[in-house]
Amino acid sequence: MGDRILSIASNTFRETIRNKILYAILAFALLIIGLSWFLADLSVGELTRIIADVGLACIHIFGVIMAVFIGITLVSNEIERKTIYLILSRPVPRWEFIVGKAAGLCITLALVTLVMAMTLFVTHAGYGGVWETGILLASAGIYMELVLLTCLASLFSSFTTPVLSAIFTLSMFLIGHVSGDLLVFGARASSAAMRVASGVLYYVLPNLENFNWKNEVVYGEVRSAAVLLFPAGYLLCYCSAVLFLACLIFSRKDFR
Amino acid sequence: MLSDLHFAVERNEIVGFLGPNGAGKTTTIKILNGLAFPDSGNVCLFGEEGGMRAAARRRIGFMPEQPYFYEYLTGEEFLGLCGHLNGLSRGEIASRSRAMLGRVGLDAAGNTAVRKYSKGMMQRLGLAQALLHDPELVILDEPMSGLDPVGRMEVRNLIRELKGSGKTIFFSTHIVSDVEALCDRVIMLHRGQKVAEGTVNDLVGEEGVRFVEVTFSPVPPRGWLEAAGIPAGNGEIQGGTFLLRAGNVDEANRWIGKFREAGSQVFSFVPVKKQLEDIFLEQVSEKGGRAAIGGRGEQEEAGDGREEKRGR
Repeated sequence: MGDRILSIASNTFRETIRNKILYAILAFALLIIGLSWFLADLSVGELTRIIADVGLACIHIFGVIMAVFIGITLVSNEIERKTIYLILSRPVPRWEFIVGKAAGLCITLALVTLVMAMTLFVTHAGYGGVWETGILLASAGIYMELVLLTCLASLFSSFTTPVLSAIFTLSMFLIGHVSGDLLVFGARASSAAMRVASGVLYYVLPNLENFNWKNEVVYGEVRSAAVLLFPAGYLLCYCSAVLFLACLIFSRKDFR
Repeated sequence: MLSDLHFAVERNEIVGFLGPNGAGKTTTIKILNGLAFPDSGNVCLFGEEGGMRAAARRRIGFMPEQPYFYEYLTGEEFLGLCGHLNGLSRGEIASRSRAMLGRVGLDAAGNTAVRKYSKGMMQRLGLAQALLHDPELVILDEPMSGLDPVGRMEVRNLIRELKGSGKTIFFSTHIVSDVEALCDRVIMLHRGQKVAEGTVNDLVGEEGVRFVEVTFSPVPPRGWLEAAGIPAGNGEIQGGTFLLRAGNVDEANRWIGKFREAGSQVFSFVPVKKQLEDIFLEQVSEKGGRAAIGGRGEQEEAGDGREEKRGR
């Protein structure tokens, strides 16, 4: 089982790492991170904050673009090119295929996030003279969010078209950053049904703010690695549920 | 749409699955491989129900129609991936990959990226990946599609070799000559239904004689020929012989008697039998359909129908 998932993940990594769009986005992200140096020169106040702020936002936005637009084609490309027939006609359970594909993209995203984070880390240190480890912690949070979005993209691409998958995944990304408000506003609702509905939605929809501690890094409140524990647990549970659903849907997919 | 489709494939047989484009061949094969699901019915592989299970798929080698591969991999890397997915060890993968590439004539292209392969080379790689794990049952969807005459001959020889080594081969095609040249049995499919099944001889049959050509020598006198009442167009003088076309063997025997009385002896006697293609066209036209035999490159129409099928 493990060998097969590893083989599919490794093949997906090879496929995604050759994606020219990935390199275009990465190059653009690195350019902006580099340019934040000059942006800081033009600003007043805490100059290194500008670099950390712009850089982390850049890693976040471009990471999301990569996760969504590569994630939605993970399965659909295999179906379109018919390469999936050569995989699923072998003794490979369909859930292993989904998990392997998602894992392969997660490895690619880990590499890309690491490159962007290290570039920002060095740029920040070069400008401010301080090695700000919070940047790496914040980047780890961003990476966790990307993993969750990859799983969501895999889920949507298991039953719908790439365009709809992109719309659904981006919607989840936007909702995921405001889902905490559901609980706050739901609690103020006069109707009990609304309060229950908002509570259910809060727990069903992803809460991507769990992975966001960029502001703390920007304002120098460097956290220890312990901050990763709860988000990691949340990520594990949420991704397991999403992938379970994706595998369930994919297991009944008919390739006529 | 597949409907009421039953068939069995015996061990060490070559079975041809013959049908025009859109007959449902590819859909049937996808169901056999667990890529599509029947609305009703079941697939029984190696004597066990639930043929889509991983254990059964380990014993099957499958080549889809016009196979596509990961273009960024080399032929050898792709076979490596297939080997891993089939649970082969690294040593087995290395040795079997080389052997398979050699067997399909791609030994010099093993380290070339698949995107540089020609259509024929892709087809060969498709065969190599299907045979890599030494399967008992080999299912090939249009294996000769896109190959030149030499390539087609090589694939035919390979299929014969596979049978010789004890494998069972089930392949779909819409090219009748491939079936006639290779198959122990034929299953004809049209519009999702089985229209005929049997050996080529069974299907053509003893009564499958279209007409009998008899040549006589010497040529009887012209006056005798005119008086004999040979139907127009059924006889002609060819050099020093007279060629007569009789509708069947009995009619031919009657004419032979008459010609002998006129002093002419039988020079040759050739019953012209029906070809499998004639049988196939008859079956298809009886069902009120149009057959596209011998064409290539067309995609199978994926029916959305129901299916019942038994394989072994």
